[in-house]
Amino acid sequence: MSFLDYLQIALPKIWIGLQITFKVSLICLLIGMLIGFPVALARVYGPKWLRWLVTAYVEIFRGTPVLVQLFLIYYGLPQFGITFSAFTAAYLAIGLNSGAYQSEYFRGAIQAISSGQMMAARSIGMTRMQAIRYVIIPQAFRFAIPSWSNEAVSMVKISSIVYLIAVPEMLYVAKVLMSKYYNPMQTYILVGLVYLLVIGAMTLLLNEIERRTTIPGLETARRGS
Amino acid sequence: MPKSDKLIVKIENVHKAYGREQVLKGISMDVTEGEVVVLVGPSGTGKSTLLRCINQLTVPDSGKVWVNGVELTNPKIDIDKARQHIGMVFQDFNLFNHLTALDNVLLGLIHVLGMKKEKAHDKAMLELKRVGLANKCSNYPGQLSGGQKQRVAIARSLAMEPIVMLFDEPTSALDPELIGEVLTVMKDLAVEGMTMICVTHEIGFARDVCSRIVFMEYGEIIEQGNPDKMLNNPDLPRTRQFLGKISELH
Amino acid sequence: MEVLTVLVPYILRGLSITLEVTAIALGFGLFFGAILAILRVYGGKILSRVIGYYVTILRALPHILLLLVIYFMIARVVNLSAFWAGSVSLAIISSAYQAEIIRGAIQSVPGGQMMAARSIGMNRFKAIWYVIIPQAFRHAIPPWSNEAAIVIKDSSLVYILGVPEILRQAQYYSARTYKPFTAYVTVAAIYFLLTFITNRGLDAVERRIRIPA
Repeated sequence: MSFLDYLQIALPKIWIGLQITFKVSLICLLIGMLIGFPVALARVYGPKWLRWLVTAYVEIFRGTPVLVQLFLIYYGLPQFGITFSAFTAAYLAIGLNSGAYQSEYFRGAIQAISSGQMMAARSIGMTRMQAIRYVIIPQAFRFAIPSWSNEAVSMVKISSIVYLIAVPEMLYVAKVLMSKYYNPMQTYILVGLVYLLVIGAMTLLLNEIERRTTIPGLETARRGS
Repeated sequence: MPKSDKLIVKIENVHKAYGREQVLKGISMDVTEGEVVVLVGPSGTGKSTLLRCINQLTVPDSGKVWVNGVELTNPKIDIDKARQHIGMVFQDFNLFNHLTALDNVLLGLIHVLGMKKEKAHDKAMLELKRVGLANKCSNYPGQLSGGQKQRVAIARSLAMEPIVMLFDEPTSALDPELIGEVLTVMKDLAVEGMTMICVTHEIGFARDVCSRIVFMEYGEIIEQGNPDKMLNNPDLPRTRQFLGKISELH
Repeated sequence: MEVLTVLVPYILRGLSITLEVTAIALGFGLFFGAILAILRVYGGKILSRVIGYYVTILRALPHILLLLVIYFMIARVVNLSAFWAGSVSLAIISSAYQAEIIRGAIQSVPGGQMMAARSIGMNRFKAIWYVIIPQAFRHAIPPWSNEAAIVIKDSSLVYILGVPEILRQAQYYSARTYKPFTAYVTVAAIYFLLTFITNRGLDAVERRIRIPA
């Protein structure tokens, strides 16, 4: 069949897959943030035992492949009778993974602004907790936005591995289409283009948000390539 | 002091623009052997650009430059070979940070001039001795003071046995107490007969050793002449005004 | 646990494959990446743009997708084993990231260094080789250490192509013994050790070649 005919069949399915991709990416990003920020605070300001614990979490999840983490949760836990749906396993695995990386970005931001700001806050009589709450956190958050934007884009890329546990996101849809219509090249190119468009749009959008929310004059944290 | 009438550097009608800004508006200048020429003028008026046009680190938009009879603005010329005989000292020193002082001087000798290691080593140590830093030969730039860095930079250029030395604000980045050691080296060079073109604000240096002061402003040569005339009795009021100001400061 | 005396050796059978895939991907990635970076910085406007697009696209797409696509493209042209096709795919992917790392390192060397090198008569090649690269190299080690860890972890992706590296070994083991958690935890531990040793090793290298200041 012609490419255009194929497009008519494939695009609607890819669109549905894309929505799943977005859903998974977004939820994992949020889970990562909910884990990452407290972990970062714990690593900078927490007592020794807590710091040790969360550092272990971060090192382990950054030092092992996300695919292995996914398999551990989805295929491994049933050994102990704990089973998750594919979606839940995906959220857990990628969420925990992202949390480890995001905690590093937040930690960098907190440490970058911490000493001077903390000194200033304490010198006007704030307690440590108050300083953290009213001075450190608001700035750290905005300071971390560029790195966090990188993570958001990464999420879309990483979420594709969940096709292996049959979560019907875009790559899974692509695989199904290929096995049905025997045209891997066309499908791959199509899906590749969609990813490029999505990531391009996201990058532009995030650059704009970054531009509008960063504190004027403050050098922002930049994640290395 | 001028040794002969041999023309070392000839600059003819050089123009250079950056974007819409005309930085050099038709500069012409001759420098003979042994002359020490000092370029003065307000910042940003093209002095450094002119210097870089001489060794073609900046390529002029139009005009010609000759060094020792070779037209460097001719694209067919092997510019790397020509640069071997032109020494340049930068405001920011630009020492090779990953190399010791000795290796900084050696690099050109070995890899550009093709000298054998032993001969190059002797030559390099000689030059470092000449600038008073033989004892720092194993130190890295990060371990040297500003004045020491600049002297190593001068040694690096001298080792190549240049026929002309170009100094681009060599002391502007130095703390006041370190300026003296660099100026001493430069004065010695002048007395020994090196042809030098210096962009600097150090009027003391100009008064003591230079043979000609060139006052530039907004890309043009306003006035030039020997130090006595320029500092005490210049033709133009603007010259008097500018040189008077920096005389006060330096 | 006696399981470990059986399990670990079984999984380690795949270790040499994992290490080889990583080495090929990192090695060729470094070679191609360096060429791309140098061409991009010193090769003129058009070349710089083209390489820029190439690198941006490769870095924007999911690694798994690229792996499958490149594997598929290679398989159509040449009869390569899954091991080689997978390794080359990862090499191509890594070369894009390494190109950016190396470019960043080159551009972090102050502009005056090139000027000074040219001013004593060095041509461009000599200046790049003797002055720029030795300094860029030192700047590149921390981000490269990061990339090395990433490639070690990405090697797990060739599992999809059926390559018998450690993850596949773990999967076989779990299929035969119904102890998936044990198998996958062990594999995770091995990956952790690999990335840990690599990072620490490169940290030590960085400290050793640091320029005294």
